[in-house]
Amino acid sequence: MKKVLKEINGYYTDDPSRHLEGFDRLKDDGSTTCASWLYCGVFPAPGQNLSARKEPLPPGYEGAYNNWGYSWPANRRVMYNRASADLQGKPWSERKRWIWWDGQQWTGYDVPDFPVNKPPDAPANPEGLGLDAHGGNAPFIMKPDGVGWLYVPNGLVDGPLPTHYEPAESAVHNPLYQQQTSPVLKYWERDDNQLAKVGDPRYPYIISTYRLTEHYLAGAMSRWQPWLTELQPELFIELSPELAAEKAIQNLNWVKISTPRGEIRAKALVTRRLRPLTIGGKLVHHVGMPWHWGWQGISTGDVVNELTALVGDPNVSIHEGKAFVCNVEKA
Amino acid sequence: MAEPMGFYTDTTVCIGCKACEVACKEWNQLPAENGGIRELSGESYDNTRRLDGIHWRHVKFVEQFPEDRSAGRWLMMSDVCKHCVKAGCLEVCPTNAIIRTEFDTVVIQSDVCNGCRDCIAACPFGVIDINPASGTAQKCTLCYDRLQAGMEPACSKACPTDSIQFGTIRELRQRAEQRVQQLHAQGEARAYLYGADEGMLGGLNSFYLLIDKSEVYGLPTNPQLPTRQLFPSSILSTLGALVLGLFGFVSLRKHRMEEIAAKRREDAGEGMGER
Repeated sequence: MKKVLKEINGYYTDDPSRHLEGFDRLKDDGSTTCASWLYCGVFPAPGQNLSARKEPLPPGYEGAYNNWGYSWPANRRVMYNRASADLQGKPWSERKRWIWWDGQQWTGYDVPDFPVNKPPDAPANPEGLGLDAHGGNAPFIMKPDGVGWLYVPNGLVDGPLPTHYEPAESAVHNPLYQQQTSPVLKYWERDDNQLAKVGDPRYPYIISTYRLTEHYLAGAMSRWQPWLTELQPELFIELSPELAAEKAIQNLNWVKISTPRGEIRAKALVTRRLRPLTIGGKLVHHVGMPWHWGWQGISTGDVVNELTALVGDPNVSIHEGKAFVCNVEKA
Repeated sequence: MAEPMGFYTDTTVCIGCKACEVACKEWNQLPAENGGIRELSGESYDNTRRLDGIHWRHVKFVEQFPEDRSAGRWLMMSDVCKHCVKAGCLEVCPTNAIIRTEFDTVVIQSDVCNGCRDCIAACPFGVIDINPASGTAQKCTLCYDRLQAGMEPACSKACPTDSIQFGTIRELRQRAEQRVQQLHAQGEARAYLYGADEGMLGGLNSFYLLIDKSEVYGLPTNPQLPTRQLFPSSILSTLGALVLGLFGFVSLRKHRMEEIAAKRREDAGEGMGER
């Protein structure tokens, strides 16, 4: 693993025992070798794997946890963090201060994502090369003009500011405002792709689908592997002891799970890791299922995506399998 | 002899991925139970349940959530043979199939084992069982074949969080002590080492950093050797034999006395008849 990390970090071509200390050491003349400039600096010397660090700050201490693991680029924890300070380089909020200009240089909790010695009042130089073209008040160093944009000419179909919408199917009304779900979410209208209305008594429970470490995607490869199937041999549904008692379901009982799209069966795994939620004063139960099963292989089981809806996020069409609603009955 | 080698398992960074279990099986070519066709155990994410002849690594999952969920944690721990400095299995093996290697680890030689199962009962941690493929007792070898080639064991190499660490016992103990101090400084006062000194079976060459009572992880608080009773029980046996002998002597004497008394009565009776 460390050999691979060394390749990613990069080293001096004529002496591979010397690792590159950071991406500012990269040269375009072949004297340096680096697989990923973003991660250059993660392994600055043999025996110094910064991603393996596990030093948190003491409880109550403010900071950026820079000695816990490593984050690209250059171990910066918040990108464009010059924006945490005002035009003069003073924190916008003392309570939330992150980096600031101390009169000589940029300093603070995090690694500055800005030329360390460029004063906040440095003028922009339109003829300058690279970052010299930006003034000291331009935090967004990867943008041509150095400033953040609220609107973009193309690409994103929603925005500009983040807000909260409920999932396409939800047990509750949007607590923020009338608009229940994203007005631009992608929905494929089909007879077999119906959505439950908010508060539909037939589907009272929130369900999340997720993965297990033992299987890969829908399991088409991992469910043929005896060493993996013995570790996670069967599809299950995790539910709280409270919901299990309400529905007279015992651990390992077969359970029927249904949504407006489909109905499947799985074994119950009753655990206190799942907890009843109180939302707007109302008790709502939450269940969870891994989605790695199908009908071929050493380990077989129902297809959990028969429950999910064909609903896509407006920008990249990722479907919404993390939160929807269902019913659970003892099979 | 090379320096004693072993494992230090820091349970606080185990994420329960079971990569160690699979890496162990892959390197040692151990079969999946029933070809991998199994039933869900219903016990958290643990579906192999224990160490045995074909599971030489086992990740335990302990869910600790109070009913009101005011707190909660999911403990995970990768368990393995402890390679005890004073090993019960090694003591009882009648064929000398169990040996101590030059790395101070404990290895069962499958070609010498006759499958008598004495070691299974002798292990205080329940590590050993019969591998149905060979019919002999098997357990973790601490990858003896890899160690001889200068490689680290498969499980610790595969561990993505360095929860399982391999090295010389001397260095591992230092590292573990530092980690305990670090955790104490961070406010995790429950952290302690299990089996990292000579007090437990002469020292476990696979020791653990735990944050709850050892029983919570299924580890005995005070594991004992099967031979611990050898001296007192031999004294007791001798005493028992003496007492039994004494009883025999007494009853023999009593029997003889009764015989003599009967004889006298008989003799006396004969005398009365003459009168």
